[in-house]
Amino acid sequence: MHRLTSLRWILAFYTALFIIFLYGPFVVMAILSFQQGPEGGPQFPIIEWSTFWYKHVLGFAPPSRIAPLPIGEALTRSLTLAFATMVVSTLLGTLTAQAFRTRFKGSGVVFYLVVLGMMVPGVLLGLGMALVADQFGIQRTWWGTAFVLHVVYTYPFAFLVMLAIFNRFDRSIEEASWALGVPPGRTFRKVTFPMIFPGVLSAMLFALTLSYDEFPRTLFTGGNQVTMPIAIYGTFAVEIHPNLFAFGVLTTLFSFALLVVYGTLMSLSIRRARARVSGIQEDVT
Amino acid sequence: MSDFDLELASLRKVFPGGTVAVDDFDLQVERGEFISFVGPSGCGKTTTLRMIAGLESISSGGLFIRGKDVTHVPTEQRPTATIFQNYAIFPHMSVRENIEFGLRVRNLPGPEVKRRVDAMIDKLELGDVADARESVLSGGQKQRLALGRGLVTEPEILLLDEPLGALDANLRKSIQEELKILQRELGITFVFVTHAQAEALSMGDRVVVMNAGQVEQISDPFELYTRPKSPFVARFIGRNKIIPGTLASADAKTAEIATDFGALRGVPSFDAASAAAGSKAMAVVPSEYVDVLPSGAPVDTADGALDVVTGAVQSYDRVGQVVYIAVELTNGTGVRLETYREKVEDRGIAPGSQVELRWKPERTTIVLDAA
Repeated sequence: MHRLTSLRWILAFYTALFIIFLYGPFVVMAILSFQQGPEGGPQFPIIEWSTFWYKHVLGFAPPSRIAPLPIGEALTRSLTLAFATMVVSTLLGTLTAQAFRTRFKGSGVVFYLVVLGMMVPGVLLGLGMALVADQFGIQRTWWGTAFVLHVVYTYPFAFLVMLAIFNRFDRSIEEASWALGVPPGRTFRKVTFPMIFPGVLSAMLFALTLSYDEFPRTLFTGGNQVTMPIAIYGTFAVEIHPNLFAFGVLTTLFSFALLVVYGTLMSLSIRRARARVSGIQEDVT
Repeated sequence: MSDFDLELASLRKVFPGGTVAVDDFDLQVERGEFISFVGPSGCGKTTTLRMIAGLESISSGGLFIRGKDVTHVPTEQRPTATIFQNYAIFPHMSVRENIEFGLRVRNLPGPEVKRRVDAMIDKLELGDVADARESVLSGGQKQRLALGRGLVTEPEILLLDEPLGALDANLRKSIQEELKILQRELGITFVFVTHAQAEALSMGDRVVVMNAGQVEQISDPFELYTRPKSPFVARFIGRNKIIPGTLASADAKTAEIATDFGALRGVPSFDAASAAAGSKAMAVVPSEYVDVLPSGAPVDTADGALDVVTGAVQSYDRVGQVVYIAVELTNGTGVRLETYREKVEDRGIAPGSQVELRWKPERTTIVLDAA
């Protein structure tokens, strides 16, 4: 009994430590984003609470010696790149996982070739790609060379997610569809895809987030039109101001808002399904 | 080329890795026949069904449906419907959508689809749950839905892969009867796979017994029950008493084997000309034909001489109208018998008493034991 309570305290302490390390940096950043501006720097103490840096990020602050964050175009590029990567990687990942449902010759080798894309250090891959591009006279761009590497990097993740989904997929449901006279293509669209859709959504999310904040591969292959993470890194070279923190808080809030919308939609559809079910049960009894 | 509804010609399935799952399967099925496949798990019965459905490729041999060669025709183009053991209901569709699904690809006019779906929902009494999904259906409803989804496409042959395996005993019994009635009504061929011999025998017009990829016997249920052709069938089907021995003599009508209990006679299940005297054989007697009497009881020889083995009663248990008697035969082997109480009650049989087991030799089948 005594041992149990002490173990509980140890676990509680461990959990608390975990949460502090997980959210501590964000909390510190959030607090510092309300630093007085434009004189206040990215450190404690807070001179005076203000929303100056938020105005600065959104472009409402009066002109000062501090340059605005170079995020406008970089943000658009990053989002476009992340979206394109998401579409291509999820598509490739799903198709590859589908191929792996039947054993084929050399499937082991192909598996490791695909997964290699996420195992190889990003810096090496980025550097290698840059060298190859120069060798062949290919211009390095975020939508060309960098995009290819983003797909190489995120495709294995999408593939592994879909592989897990297909592992739990009951093959006889597809067979039932074929046996009813429905050809394989239509079966995939009408039966398989709706059933694996939650998995596809997870694969998409993986590819999107991994691509959105990808750094080392993009650094070497993105060319001079930079993406978001590179742009932010670029500001470090000069001087860090709390406007960066304000921007971080805003993007985090945006992510949370997306999650809330997603959660609401899910619970709504579940509630609707339940209502339908209970209505039926009343009819039966 | 043939008038059969379904024909399997030397069908063979070899899995990658070399395992022979089904070998040399020949079968001809008349239109409207109810065929059961029965055997222990791994015997190849489900693999054969899947080859007929087109879900498993055929390694060699031919498959014909209504005289048309469908050996290499893909599943969706075969005039068959398959009912799976786990029903394989589309979880994201309602009962109605499940039933409609197979009709949607058939280019039927909308009203015709609706008419057929409504008729099927009515017929299978799924009206109350027509808009529900799989998760709220009972086992019986899922079973009927799987059936309706297949039948609405009007297949020539319905293939059922252990469709009653997931149901409890009572429901099983009633659905067995429903299936049989449905089959007679529709007049189409049913191929029914099961591992339960009672189910195979009660449902099938003919029964195919399989073991280790081989067809052991194809017969009507009564013949299968009373005249097994192989040691496997003798042990797998029914409750046969089996007494091993060596073949003494055989002609077309009777065979005699030498056993620990002397000569036993029976009807040979083999071609008498090809069997050599001295080869291993067994006398197979269906339990139902074995009578238990105290030793020395008068023998009624009006219908000819009976075959007799002797032993001592080990236990005598009454359960309602049924009596279970365990007997240790004089050669040391044990035999359990099941009989009606009023038949044996006044014979003075008790644990320890000496008894004779008697039967008419024409009830016995003599089976060669290759092993």
